[in-house]
Amino acid sequence: MNKKPLSSPKSSDSDVSILESQALSKQNAGQYKEAIELYKSLLKRADNADWQKALAQCYLQRALAFAAKGLVKEALVLWENYAQNAAPPHLALDRYIGWLLQTNNTAKVKTRLGQLTAQQLDEHYPELAALVGLLIITGKVDCLELLPKNAAFMTHLGFVQEALSAYRNNKLEDIEPALKKLPFRSAFRDFRTLMKAALLPPESIEQAQALLAKIPADSPYRQAGALLLAVTHNGAMLVNDLFQFTPQHIKIIVAAKNFNKKQLELLDILSKQKDRLSDKAKFNLAIQYQALFGADLAQHYCLAALSTYPAGQRDFTKHFGTINDFEAWRLKALSCERDRDYHDAEYYWKQAITVLKNQGAKGAFKIALIMRHIAVREETPEEAMIWIMDSLYADPDDRDSYIKILTYYERQQQETDAYKEWLDKSIQKFPNDVELLSLAIKAATRNKAFKKATQYAQALLKIDPVNTFAKQVLLTSHLAHARKLIKTKKFHLVEKELQRAQTITIGKRYQMQAQLMRGFFMFVAEDKKQGAQLIAESVQKLNDGLACAYFCVTLEALLLDLQPAPLLKALPPLAKDYWLSAQEITQLIKLIQQYADDDNASQALLHKALEKIKAVIKLSLKQQDYGEELLLSLCQCLDHIRHFELLTVCAKIAQPLWLKPIWMYYRVYSEAKGNPEKCSAIHSYRLQENIKIALEQKDQRTAALIGKFLEKYYESIKPKSSIFNSLFGNTDDDEDYDEDEDPMDALFGHLPDDLFDRLDLKVHELMKKNPPERMFKMLATAYLSNNVARMQKLFNDTPEILYAFLMLKAADDLGLDIDVTAEEIIECFKDQRPTSFPFF
Amino acid sequence: MKTPYELLAVTASSTDAEIKLAYLQLVKLNPPDRDQAKFQQLHSAYETIKNATEREKYALFNYPEADFNALLDQAFMDLQPSLMSADCFEQLLRVSIDDKIFLIGNPNKLRA
Repeated sequence: MNKKPLSSPKSSDSDVSILESQALSKQNAGQYKEAIELYKSLLKRADNADWQKALAQCYLQRALAFAAKGLVKEALVLWENYAQNAAPPHLALDRYIGWLLQTNNTAKVKTRLGQLTAQQLDEHYPELAALVGLLIITGKVDCLELLPKNAAFMTHLGFVQEALSAYRNNKLEDIEPALKKLPFRSAFRDFRTLMKAALLPPESIEQAQALLAKIPADSPYRQAGALLLAVTHNGAMLVNDLFQFTPQHIKIIVAAKNFNKKQLELLDILSKQKDRLSDKAKFNLAIQYQALFGADLAQHYCLAALSTYPAGQRDFTKHFGTINDFEAWRLKALSCERDRDYHDAEYYWKQAITVLKNQGAKGAFKIALIMRHIAVREETPEEAMIWIMDSLYADPDDRDSYIKILTYYERQQQETDAYKEWLDKSIQKFPNDVELLSLAIKAATRNKAFKKATQYAQALLKIDPVNTFAKQVLLTSHLAHARKLIKTKKFHLVEKELQRAQTITIGKRYQMQAQLMRGFFMFVAEDKKQGAQLIAESVQKLNDGLACAYFCVTLEALLLDLQPAPLLKALPPLAKDYWLSAQEITQLIKLIQQYADDDNASQALLHKALEKIKAVIKLSLKQQDYGEELLLSLCQCLDHIRHFELLTVCAKIAQPLWLKPIWMYYRVYSEAKGNPEKCSAIHSYRLQENIKIALEQKDQRTAALIGKFLEKYYESIKPKSSIFNSLFGNTDDDEDYDEDEDPMDALFGHLPDDLFDRLDLKVHELMKKNPPERMFKMLATAYLSNNVARMQKLFNDTPEILYAFLMLKAADDLGLDIDVTAEEIIECFKDQRPTSFPFF
Repeated sequence: MKTPYELLAVTASSTDAEIKLAYLQLVKLNPPDRDQAKFQQLHSAYETIKNATEREKYALFNYPEADFNALLDQAFMDLQPSLMSADCFEQLLRVSIDDKIFLIGNPNKLRA
């Protein structure tokens, strides 16, 4: 490009400097179009090298911006304008050639490629070299003779052609050596990766995929890599890949995969629909292409798809036959469960059980599993237990069911005979089960059946010799038995019992308990002074503080019907300003719990024993700074033995300190002495506020405690039924009674909603078709041995009975077993008062 | 989603011992400290089918899933995959060339 030499700007024009600064500002702001106009205008006024340079830059930037938008032709013109205004070497020449290639401007391509030097091709324009390389090997551009012969590019191209030739001639062993000659910085680097990957399948698919991932996103070989990657895929992944490609691409991939006619046909349908296939379309494809999917898989798919495409039922039956009864009920039940409709699910499971019952022993295990499955969904533990117990008839060896039943009964407030019965059954069934033996020990201890507890503990220790729980129980049993023997003055047996207790290796503390009992034995049976001394020594060793020692001695004495005073004299005096340490409070809690649970000490005895140390506990609570956790444990313990006096003190101190719902609860609860009836209105409001706070803080336990208390409180303040109400009816109780006794509910409440609706529809159909007289006759014939008069009388007594009979008739006409008989209908309506006619 | 049998690469007729072995081998390859989610998936699969009772429960209470991808996996599985021919490779290279390929170079990296 020959340009005339430029002179310096003529500064005479005053506007020039303004224009110049405007042009520069537009250029800096990326507004190249405006900048170009301004520079052109400036250059009309004067020749200026800087302005021309700036103009060239603006053209270049604008060209690049157009290219980025895909406007290649515009980019080409702008780059050429740039080249006219800038001295060589020109920037972005490689991109310009790329645009020329894209617009198929062969003449200019050839000119520009012919001007490239070896250095430019090998070093300056690697992207262009890679592109030209790909275009040459695919025969898209014939420019080989134009390129510099001395370029490394040419040598590398030779290696590539050598590899391709070996590939074409099936000399696979020659490919690798040819590719190896290509250096890392070659323009054909990605070609090498691609070809290597193409040769790896079918043996090393994963390796091929790893290689293809190495091709950079801006490489001209990237698209070929993506196509080859799709070839390495199978199944759903391949189909999803194909959705991303053009028909031309897909054609190559399916050719590489050697798909058969059926596969191609299916692929064609899928690629037309892409990922917009409806449930119906998928269902039909599964049936239509069974040969490809496999009959089993297609059937499995269609069966599952029926839940979202129920209209396919007829086609399913046509192609795969009818589903067996059990499977049909099972799927219905699972479908209901999926919709969280557990009521209907239970109905369908019951139908499935009925089918299984006909299969004898084969179906028994399944029945048991279904029953246990239903139990999990039941709303109340009582209903769940009935299912679990029933399941044991079908599968009597399920240990977990026994445990669940026992746990359920154990949680009941009062121990029932049923619990003992189930415990005996369980132990008989699983005599060596640690968990069951532990439950049996606990039950025997609760019932003061020490001999039985000892037997179970010994059995447990035979299985698990280091079981601490069994050892504790054994020791407690021996001590309790020793206490009983001392009390009944069977002194000759006491020593043996104490020795048994002392042989149990469980720790020093427990040994000391045996020693304490020996002290009492000595005090009662042998030497009072020596006995009192032994008691004092052991009780102090056993406890961390004097308050606990006082409590312990007092309670033990009370349990033996002894006066505590003489024994307490042997202990150091308990000062009035004695403070219990946090450690001693912890121990006191443990002691109270131990005596209340293990030794079954009555509340009265526990309160009496606490009486001695009550004052020091109160003082300590007021003076000492115990942590919240410790005070909470103490409150729970005092609540357990219902010692409201100390509980009030504890809660009063804690509540203002921590301001938590639990403390407000204990404060109100203790002041009402655990009796909601004694709760004041203001306190009930406070609890209402605190239950909200507890729920906000996700403190479910406190929320439950407050909720239970408030429930009883509201019950206690509910006005009792007035005489007026009881005389003239319309009481709430009456409404409840009606609801509970609704015979329609009792008869048909177990039916799933959809079945009920179906029957209801049929009932209305029957009513439309038959006038009342014919209806009575029809029902009497079907259910009352043709006794039309009886039918009429039943109807006159309670018109609703007609609807119930029609429901039965509808079920029979539809061939459905709804587990309701005519006798049950009559029985259900026997004591009903007449109500309004249901549908006349 | 894969079934527990597919996850552990066992069949419904596999024995307890076979299932346990398959599970342990997979856990060895996917220990919890490497991929907690994968380990959890394997563990949960094993718990679901570890013995006859659990397998029976799974068969009874697992709602069959309508997995269309499973059908596609079956239909487009390479039964006899073969080496790609040179002709196919060259065609693949040829069809891979489109307008995007010419967008070469980084506009921020201009070279004369």
